[in-house]
Amino acid sequence: MIWLVMIFGGTFTFCTRFVMLSGWVAHGLPKWLIDALAFVPIAVLTAILVPAVLIDPATQQIIVIGNARVVAAVVATIMALLTRNVIATISSGLATLWFVQWWL
Amino acid sequence: MPEIHAHRQPAAEFWLGVRHELPLQLGVIPFGLVFGILGLASGLTGLQTILLSSILFGGASQVVFAQLWAAGVPPLVVGGSVGVVNLRHVLYSASMAQYLRHLPLRWRILLGYLLTDEAYAVSIKRFRDGPDSPHQHCHLLGSGVTLWVAWQASTVIGVIAGTTIPDSWSLSFAIPLTFIAVVAPSIRRRADLVACVVAAALSLICQPLPWKSWIIVAACGGIAAGWLTHYHAQTRGKFTVDKNGGTS
Repeated sequence: MIWLVMIFGGTFTFCTRFVMLSGWVAHGLPKWLIDALAFVPIAVLTAILVPAVLIDPATQQIIVIGNARVVAAVVATIMALLTRNVIATISSGLATLWFVQWWL
Repeated sequence: MPEIHAHRQPAAEFWLGVRHELPLQLGVIPFGLVFGILGLASGLTGLQTILLSSILFGGASQVVFAQLWAAGVPPLVVGGSVGVVNLRHVLYSASMAQYLRHLPLRWRILLGYLLTDEAYAVSIKRFRDGPDSPHQHCHLLGSGVTLWVAWQASTVIGVIAGTTIPDSWSLSFAIPLTFIAVVAPSIRRRADLVACVVAAALSLICQPLPWKSWIIVAACGGIAAGWLTHYHAQTRGKFTVDKNGGTS
């Protein structure tokens, strides 16, 4: 079953990349759709990352105070805005996480 | 200017694509490593984890796949969530079309498969900045193949090394950190911020929904909220200067 879902997901993903190169769509995309698709990365990635930061894996509760991942995420966000550098963002976030976990 | 230079040969375009793509691998390789580790931790086999990297070939969607599959989510919801995560590629495909649509089908299929965020980013820049050349599509082949090799290799290494890295290192936290690195700098307009905040709120509020469907709900809600804000801002600014040259 897992292979079926992998292949289905892969085929769909290929189609999203190939569809506009295929020549099947004659006139390009309507502007409203292009506008909407532009929000996909922000909405999708935010939806995945926010629970990964805030929800405690052990208790499944939202924890803000005393949560090392929140501190790390804040530092990483500031780093991302300042440097726009992926490596600087990941390494500052991980370093903060390790430091706060050790400190607590 | 273009008359002075002979067109770059296919190999030269290919290697230029490789060279432009290489610096981005600094962000790709750690993500691939972590995905390899996460795949095993989610209960996928090594082979499944490795092949997911070539079948889906999209980091965020692979993470979603592994996490949902591990949680026992129904296959249809897993497929739907992966689909929503990957919808953004339609935009890349659309903006690449004018440079690639004259190519033979086998080229368009190959380049379509290789059209990821990172390859798109460097090759669209090459196509737009010129110089126009009949072999310029080889640039996308170069950037795409570079990313493909780095992604597969780092996944394999992650799968091999995954069992030896202690959980206390919290390496899986590199995944949300990678997303922060993408999302934070991309928030430029008010509508982007609205999309981000609504997606964040829904992802927490909808946690009790079955099958981890909060991912789809929060993603679609964020997209809708961003689009409505954008649309609203445009209609209000209809009679003022619109630097994008269109209001509809």
